Amino acid sequence: MAGNNKRRKPGLARALSIFESSIVIVVLLLAWTFIPLLPGVSLPRYFPSFLEILEAAGSMIERGVLWLDISTSLRIALTGLLLATATAIVLGLLLGWFARLERYVDPVLQVLRNTPVLAILPLFILILGIGDISRIAVVFFSSFFPTLLNTIQGVKHADPVLIRAAQSMGISKPALFAKVILPSATPYILAGFRLAAGVSLIVLVAAEMLGAAHGLGISIWTYQFSYQIAPMYADILTLAIIGVLMNFGLLKLEKLLTRWQEKPQ
Amino acid sequence: MAPATSTENEIEIEECSLAYEVKHTRREGGAGTHLVLDAINLTVSRGEFCSIVGPSGCGKSTLLSILAGLIKATEGSARIEGREITGPSLRTGIIMQAYALFPWRTTQKNVEFGLEIKKVPRAERAQIAEYYLEMVGLADFRQRYPYELSGGMKQRVAIARALAYDPEILLLDEPFAAIDEQTRGQLHEQLLDIWEKTRKTIVFVTHSIEESIFLSDRVVVMTPGPGRIRSIVDIGLARPRLAEIKNTEEFATYRKRVWQLLQTRGELTEEIVLEDGSVILETVPFIEGI
Repeated sequence: MAGNNKRRKPGLARALSIFESSIVIVVLLLAWTFIPLLPGVSLPRYFPSFLEILEAAGSMIERGVLWLDISTSLRIALTGLLLATATAIVLGLLLGWFARLERYVDPVLQVLRNTPVLAILPLFILILGIGDISRIAVVFFSSFFPTLLNTIQGVKHADPVLIRAAQSMGISKPALFAKVILPSATPYILAGFRLAAGVSLIVLVAAEMLGAAHGLGISIWTYQFSYQIAPMYADILTLAIIGVLMNFGLLKLEKLLTRWQEKPQ
Repeated sequence: MAPATSTENEIEIEECSLAYEVKHTRREGGAGTHLVLDAINLTVSRGEFCSIVGPSGCGKSTLLSILAGLIKATEGSARIEGREITGPSLRTGIIMQAYALFPWRTTQKNVEFGLEIKKVPRAERAQIAEYYLEMVGLADFRQRYPYELSGGMKQRVAIARALAYDPEILLLDEPFAAIDEQTRGQLHEQLLDIWEKTRKTIVFVTHSIEESIFLSDRVVVMTPGPGRIRSIVDIGLARPRLAEIKNTEEFATYRKRVWQLLQTRGELTEEIVLEDGSVILETVPFIEGI
């Protein structure tokens, strides 16, 4: 009968868990920073020290280019991702609910889903031009299917016992959908969304490398071309940080929306 | 049986049969149809506690689903207060063995579910939920999610949920089958207490003879293949009943009687082929489900 705090870790255990999960990264970064400063140590040219990378990042921030690239990439990734997610959820709910429709549409979905998205990029560029639109389209295409397929599964896996219980109270079809089917599908939808978010970033960077005015993908490529190694690393690390933050945020969101689920031990 | 029109009768089941088509029957006869319920006649009066006992496959849960409006009988008539049952409604509340609580809703929100369907305003919903959670002794757990509750607690929430929207009839489908012996005993007494407070008509499906006798005014004994009513036993035990009553001579007599009714299937027989090829018909005894 403990209160709600039974799940919260006490201070000491919490500190320990933070220590456990960060110590290796901290040690690696310290080594990366200080070992190159030792007398007699010289790194290969394509492997700058962490300090050099930070300096390069500082100068990129000062000149405003880093933020321009980050904001361009994020804008395109988020636009494509959110449009895809909204469409995928609506369509997924429909296809999950109307099983017959799904049987007709599924083969098409399987073909599209298994087509490597970058193979279609030239087509998008042909139709939509080389601007942001074609990159948004590529992100859309790649992040659409994980959410769509998961949403369909989520609707199909709604517990028949719960549906029966709701029906026994004379619930209407729309209310059944809103009060039973949708909440049942939520964990599936969120898992699909997290998958889609990861994919969207990968695909965007690849698409940018094929040509864009701004963005982290094209920036990495440009620095590599002109042999500016430290700025190139700064961009790569920026992408890594964005990826980690995004995943962390989505895990938090998942936890918040599905806190009614039993935690796996 | 003459069609009952008395308002004393809350539930009237008349010559109710349920058959469904099967493509390949393993059993002979019936030519592609499988008879689950065969001409059931039963009336339950207002405020009565009526149990239906029988082994798995006797159609007792199916009969309950007909009363809940979840299944339609293929023949005959089933009425509540003289009105034919056409579909699920808030006149009946069903409580299932699997609890069927919505895992994403807290205890309180689960209890409010039927009230939301009934479009009861939020403040009133909370008040009603509070009242019934109090009744089942779970007021302190209203903010808990189902995964945080024990089986017995979950079933009490399910009972509160069914009571909350104030149906005339409670239908319980083996509600305590998955619950340990001690807890089950407590739930029995609590259910009787609730029944006495609310005076609902209760139809209680179980495969436990003891449970059916302890709780009920009448025990309907069903036999399978196809599901038929074998007999109805009136239970004359005084109320209020406490657990000790199970040790009395009178209780033992009822237990023996119901047990005997379940032992033989009467006219139901099985073909047995002897070594010399001749066939005899034998009455089928069974112990299953007792």
